[in-house]
Amino acid sequence: MTDADLQAEVEAWLAANWRGAPPREESFGRDPRAEWLAQVRDAGWAVPRWPRDWYGRELSAEQAKIVERAFTAAGAPGAGQDRSNLWANTALAHATDSFKRVIVPQLLAGEVGMCLLYSEPGAGSDLAAIRTRAEKVEGGWRVTGQKIWTSGAMIADYGMLIARTDWDVPKHRGISFFFLPMRQEGVEVRPLRQITDESHFNEVFITDAFVPDENLLGPLNGGWGVLQTALAYERSVMGDMARGARSGAAGAKGDHAMLELAREAGKLDDPVVRQDVAQVIAWRVLNKLNTQRAKAELAQGTSSSIMSLGKLAMSRILHEEGRLRTELLGPESLLEGPDHPRAEDANFLSLNAYFTSIGGGTDQIQRNIIGERVLGLPKEPEIDRTIPFREVRAG
Amino acid sequence: MTDATMNQEERTALRDTVRRLFADQCTESDVRRIMESDSGHDPALWRSLAELGIAGLLVAADAGGSQLSAVELELVMEEAGAALAPVPLISTAMASVLLDGELAEALAAGRTIAAVALLGALDWTGDSNVRIEGGRAQGTARFVPDAGIADIFLLASDEGVHLVERASAGITPLPTFDRTRRMADVRFDGAATRIGDGAAARRARDIGLVALAGEQTGGARRIFDITVDYARERHQFGRAIGSFQAIKHMAADLLLEAESATSAARDAARQVAEGAVGKDAAVALAAFACADAFLRCAKDGIQMHGGIAFTWDHPAHLYLRRARSGVQLFGDSNIWRDRYVAALDAMQKEMAA
Repeated sequence: MTDADLQAEVEAWLAANWRGAPPREESFGRDPRAEWLAQVRDAGWAVPRWPRDWYGRELSAEQAKIVERAFTAAGAPGAGQDRSNLWANTALAHATDSFKRVIVPQLLAGEVGMCLLYSEPGAGSDLAAIRTRAEKVEGGWRVTGQKIWTSGAMIADYGMLIARTDWDVPKHRGISFFFLPMRQEGVEVRPLRQITDESHFNEVFITDAFVPDENLLGPLNGGWGVLQTALAYERSVMGDMARGARSGAAGAKGDHAMLELAREAGKLDDPVVRQDVAQVIAWRVLNKLNTQRAKAELAQGTSSSIMSLGKLAMSRILHEEGRLRTELLGPESLLEGPDHPRAEDANFLSLNAYFTSIGGGTDQIQRNIIGERVLGLPKEPEIDRTIPFREVRAG
Repeated sequence: MTDATMNQEERTALRDTVRRLFADQCTESDVRRIMESDSGHDPALWRSLAELGIAGLLVAADAGGSQLSAVELELVMEEAGAALAPVPLISTAMASVLLDGELAEALAAGRTIAAVALLGALDWTGDSNVRIEGGRAQGTARFVPDAGIADIFLLASDEGVHLVERASAGITPLPTFDRTRRMADVRFDGAATRIGDGAAARRARDIGLVALAGEQTGGARRIFDITVDYARERHQFGRAIGSFQAIKHMAADLLLEAESATSAARDAARQVAEGAVGKDAAVALAAFACADAFLRCAKDGIQMHGGIAFTWDHPAHLYLRRARSGVQLFGDSNIWRDRYVAALDAMQKEMAA
C-alpha cells in the first residue's frame, strides 16, 4: 500500500467514524473513551506496527506515523499504542497465549485499569532487592508482600507485579513477573500522604493474594528480563510526554518567571538578588538550549549524551527556583492557604522539587548512569550480585 | 562584516581541518615552548592559520578573507581553546569587525596583528584612562590582550573606534599568570584616526565574547575529557578511581557544565551572526556560563586527578590558568550575570510596550 493510499484510508475512516469522545482525566483506571478505543482497535489503527493476528497491520514505522499523524490532526485518540501502551506492549511480548487473548484487546480499549507493583519500602534504588514472595500452589501462586509508590492502585484491575520466586539464587535470577488481579481479598490499597500533603501514590499490602498460572509473563524466574522491556517502554512513553510538555511550555515567559517575581517583590535592583536571579534563569535557559541541541544532533543521526543530563539539570532548576521564590517572598513564605497563593506556590514547589530529584531514580543513581553509560566509567563492585538472595543483608 | 554561514557538512570539514592543524602544530610541548618565549606568541602557527583562512575568518572575501560568521568563529575557537593555542585569534576576530580595505587584507594574510582596547563603558578593567581629543589619543589602556605583538591598536568605546599606530604606543608587558594569554598596559600619546562608530565597537566586543566563549567551551571539554580518561585508567584500592561514586558523580556534574557551556556558546554565536533580538541576553549568558563552566571543569579536574595534577609537568594547570584569565577578560561573571538580568528586563519591557 502506498503512503498516499494509507493516508486516504485512515482519513476516510476517521471522517466516517470519529464523532468526539469524553476527555480522559486520570491516566490510570478504566478509560471513559473505551467504546471509541475498541472501534479503533478493531479497525487496526490502534497498533498498526503489530502482527495482523494481534489487531495490527504490520506497517513500517514510517507508515505507522502516517496513521498517528492523521489521528492527531483529527484530534482523535487511540492510535500509536504500539509505541505508547506500556501494558499492552509488555503483555504482547511476554504473556501466555491464553492470557494474551483475554487481556490484550481489553488493554487496547482501555477497558481495564492497570498499576505498577515494582518498588518496595526495602527496594527503591536497588529494585532487584524485592522481598515480596510468590509461592507455588495448585493452579497458580500465592503472593505476600508490600509495594509502594503505586499510582492508580485504587482503580486498577491488574497490577504488573515483580515478586521473588526463588530465594536460593542471586537477586536478579529469582524474580518472576505477573499480572496480579487487584480486585480480591488480600490486596489492600492505602493512599500515601506526600510531604506536599497531596496523595498521588499508594501503598499496596498483599497478603496471600492469588495469581493464576497463566498470568505469569515470560519464564519463571525470568522476570528481571521482562521488567527491562516494561521499563524501556515506560521510559520511551515518559520521554514522549516530556518532549510534548517541553514543546508546549510557556517559552520565554516561563523561563524568565524569576525575573517577574523579583520585580514584583521590588528586589530587582538589589545586586545580590540580581546575581541569584540571573543564575537560576540561566540554568533553565541552558537546559532548554541543551535539549534543542540534543534534538538537532539526534536528527542529524549523531548520538547525544545530553538527554541523560536533563533530569539532573531539572532537579537543580526546581530546587533552586523553590529556594529563590521563597527568598524573594521573605516572611510571607511562612504562610499557607488560599489567601496566600504566592507562599503556597513557593512552599509547594520547594517540596515538590524532590518529586524530580528522587522520583524515577534519584539524582545519585542518575549520576551513576551518566558515569557508566555515557562516560564509560566502571561500575562499583556489587557484593550481592553473585550470592544467593537469601544471604543478602537487608535493613 | 558579513553573515555568510556554512552548512553542517562544511562546518564539520572546517572543524576537522582546524583540529588536525592543532594536533600537528600545537601540541602540549609546543604550548609549553611558546609559554617560555618572550612574546608568548607562535608566529609559525599563526602563519599556518592565516594560510588556512582562519586569521581572515570574518574578513570579507574581496579583502582576501573567508567571509564567514560568528558561528564558524565559535567553532574554530572551541578547537583553539582545547589546544590552548597561543595565537591572537580573539583580538583578530574583534579587529575584523572594525577594519576594511588594505588593513583588513593585511589582517587576513597574517601580516598585521591588531590589538583592541575596550574603553569607556566597554572598559572591563575599570582602570583605563585614554582620552581622544582633536585626533589624538592620550592616556593608558590596561590589560590589552596581544598588545606586545600588535602592529596597530584599535581603541573601541561607545564614542567610536580609533586606530593608533604602534609608534605612538608605549607598551609595558605584564607578567600574566596565564602565560598563554599575554597582555600589556599601553600608554598612548599620538595621532588617532577615527575608523568607526560606537555600534561597531559594541559589535567587536560581542564578537570577542563569542570567541572567548568558544575558547572556554573547548577548554572545558578538553580538560574534562583528560580527567575522565584518567579516571578510567588510574587504579587505587584495586579499582579504577572512576568506579568510585565520589569521582563518578563529580564527572557527571562536570559533563552537565561542559555541555551547557557548549549550548550557550553556540547559541550566542548564532544570535550574533543573525543579529537576533535576543543576542544581548545570549551573549551575556554565554559570557558567564562558559567562563564558570571552564573554571569549574579545570578546578575539579585537578581535584579528581589527585597529586599528579599538582605537578608542573601535568597539563591540568595550564587549563586552570587559561580558565582563570578568561573569567576576567571582558568582565567577570558577576558583571555578566548583572547584565544578563538587564538584557532580559529590557527585552520584557520591549515586548510589553
